[in-house]
Amino acid sequence: MTQAAIEIRGLRKVFSKGRDRVVAVDGLDLEVRRGEVFGLLGPNGAGKTTTVEICEGLQQPTEGEVIVLGLRWRGAEKSEIRQRIGVSLQDTQFFEKQTVVEILTLFRSFYETGRTVEEVVSMFSLQEKINSRTKDLSGGQRQRLAVACAMVSEPELLFLDEPTTGLDPQSRRQLWESIQGYQAGGGTVLMTTHYMEEAEHLCNRVGIVDHGKIIALDTPAGLIASMGGDHVVEAEIEGLASSLSSAEVAALPTVQEHTFAGDHLSMTVAAPHLVVPGLIDLLAAKGMSMDGLATRHTSLEDVFVKLTGRLLRDGDAE
Amino acid sequence: MTFREFIRSPGSVFWTYGFPLLMVVAIGLAFQSKKPPPLPVAVVESDFAAADVAALRGNPRLEVQVVDAETGETQFRRGKILVLVSMKKGVLNIKLDETRPDTEIAKLHVDGALRVRAPGHPVQIAHETTPGWRYIDWLIPGLIGLNLLGAGMWGVGFNLVQMRVKNILRRLMVTPMHKSEFMVAFLMSRLILVVPEAAAIVAFGVYLFDVPIVGSLWTVLLLVILGAISFTGLGMVIASRARTIETVSGLMNLTMLPMWLLGGCFFDSDRFPDFVQPFVKVLPITHLNEALRCVISEGAGVADILPELGFLGAFSVIAMGLAIRCFRWT
Repeated sequence: MTQAAIEIRGLRKVFSKGRDRVVAVDGLDLEVRRGEVFGLLGPNGAGKTTTVEICEGLQQPTEGEVIVLGLRWRGAEKSEIRQRIGVSLQDTQFFEKQTVVEILTLFRSFYETGRTVEEVVSMFSLQEKINSRTKDLSGGQRQRLAVACAMVSEPELLFLDEPTTGLDPQSRRQLWESIQGYQAGGGTVLMTTHYMEEAEHLCNRVGIVDHGKIIALDTPAGLIASMGGDHVVEAEIEGLASSLSSAEVAALPTVQEHTFAGDHLSMTVAAPHLVVPGLIDLLAAKGMSMDGLATRHTSLEDVFVKLTGRLLRDGDAE
Repeated sequence: MTFREFIRSPGSVFWTYGFPLLMVVAIGLAFQSKKPPPLPVAVVESDFAAADVAALRGNPRLEVQVVDAETGETQFRRGKILVLVSMKKGVLNIKLDETRPDTEIAKLHVDGALRVRAPGHPVQIAHETTPGWRYIDWLIPGLIGLNLLGAGMWGVGFNLVQMRVKNILRRLMVTPMHKSEFMVAFLMSRLILVVPEAAAIVAFGVYLFDVPIVGSLWTVLLLVILGAISFTGLGMVIASRARTIETVSGLMNLTMLPMWLLGGCFFDSDRFPDFVQPFVKVLPITHLNEALRCVISEGAGVADILPELGFLGAFSVIAMGLAIRCFRWT
């Protein structure tokens, strides 16, 4: 099939509360291909959840067009979309006194076709908890149950809104494996996250969302390559601004870009093994000392900072 | 902190301060009559009736009507009158149930009036309290109605809004389930819970207080089911869009309080002033209680309570239809 799993064109969503008008999504275009895991990445309040909820039929767009599995959110097509998608909302809550197996049986009953409850239980390693009430589950187990409910119908398209927020590393890995297993079986995923690591690990393509628009879209590797260098070298140098010039830093071997922030120097480079000795020689010649040095691979976080001038986490303060 | 949370939710503030004040004003307006309400009594037609009636009518506190023996009995049993005066073998017989509110006062006024009728010629008065005619016999059907109302309001309204607040309804919205399927399922589960509840009240009445069940229990069951659907539907309409527990609680109180007061649960609604009667007649609980009393105390069959069944049936259909129409998942 050549038809895209999701097509979004010119999507706008404006919330009006009294005189305040908040533009949550501001002319967003996107195409999610069949069989891929697509990640929407961005700080809180960027419009990720609103976009996903419009695709899920939970919210109405103010403007624009959304086509899900070749269908639109209108008339009889609505129930067909609902039969074919699986959804895990941000912060899913359940009926507290129902057990895991009861919840899964309930969700399975909504769909014409799907997996058996036993299959889903073992996919998500919930065997030991099948007769536990949902209020007694840990955060990780509850989140696995939420995704299990989304997958019990064997959907063609899965929406996951921040599936691993607040989870410990082990629970996160378990969920990642389940999502990768689903993709291996031919499934398509549209997910949101604000974990770079998660996007790099899981997503075939990533769209970076800020202020209701997609500001960059590529594979994680492609986005990182757009930074010009694969590595970042960071150094703490006392009296940096007064003694080192921008030109001196730029002249170091393979440096693509650099920034000064107080005593903090950050450089995007192609070959750290050439840059670091060069920097040390430069400092030695000037009789200066270095308080700290770190090198790492360029991450999506660096891409985001470059594109928006902000750290992803800044959005959390809203 | 709790205080700021509270004063910053306009809904809560209204239901805490505004609504009780409105209730006080409304009830005050309805009951601001200067004199105490009249006490309804009846005299059975007999040779002596004319004189008795005249004597009783001389007392402004009493509201006197003349009836035949059978009507008198029925009205007494239904609690429409507090005291039934009749002549038996030359003795004035006063039938009453001391467990009913206001009966003692009515008895004093009746005694006094009848003694004045023949000064110097002492009248023989017998007081008769008949089992099966007591206040409890009248009360049990009303309690069934009241419980169905409470279950419909709290069990449905509260639960639905809680599911909305916790975003459970949002999660259900993205499944293929239609809202009408959800609501009918909800109604069914309520019926399964409510029928045993009504049965428990009847059983308590029968075994603990010897309340006689004259009519058919199947007819009672039919009424219980219709009542449950009516009130569940009403609860769903109230909860169809409310977004906070405070709002739905207020709306439920607003609906329940008039029904408690006017619906004939604890005392007969005929005793309200005439201008209140149209409100009494549109409340489903009035019809439910009336029909339950006719079946339980008087052995009425389905044919005798057709108007009430019709009203409750229509109310059920309209309430459920409106609930499904108005319902919002989010």
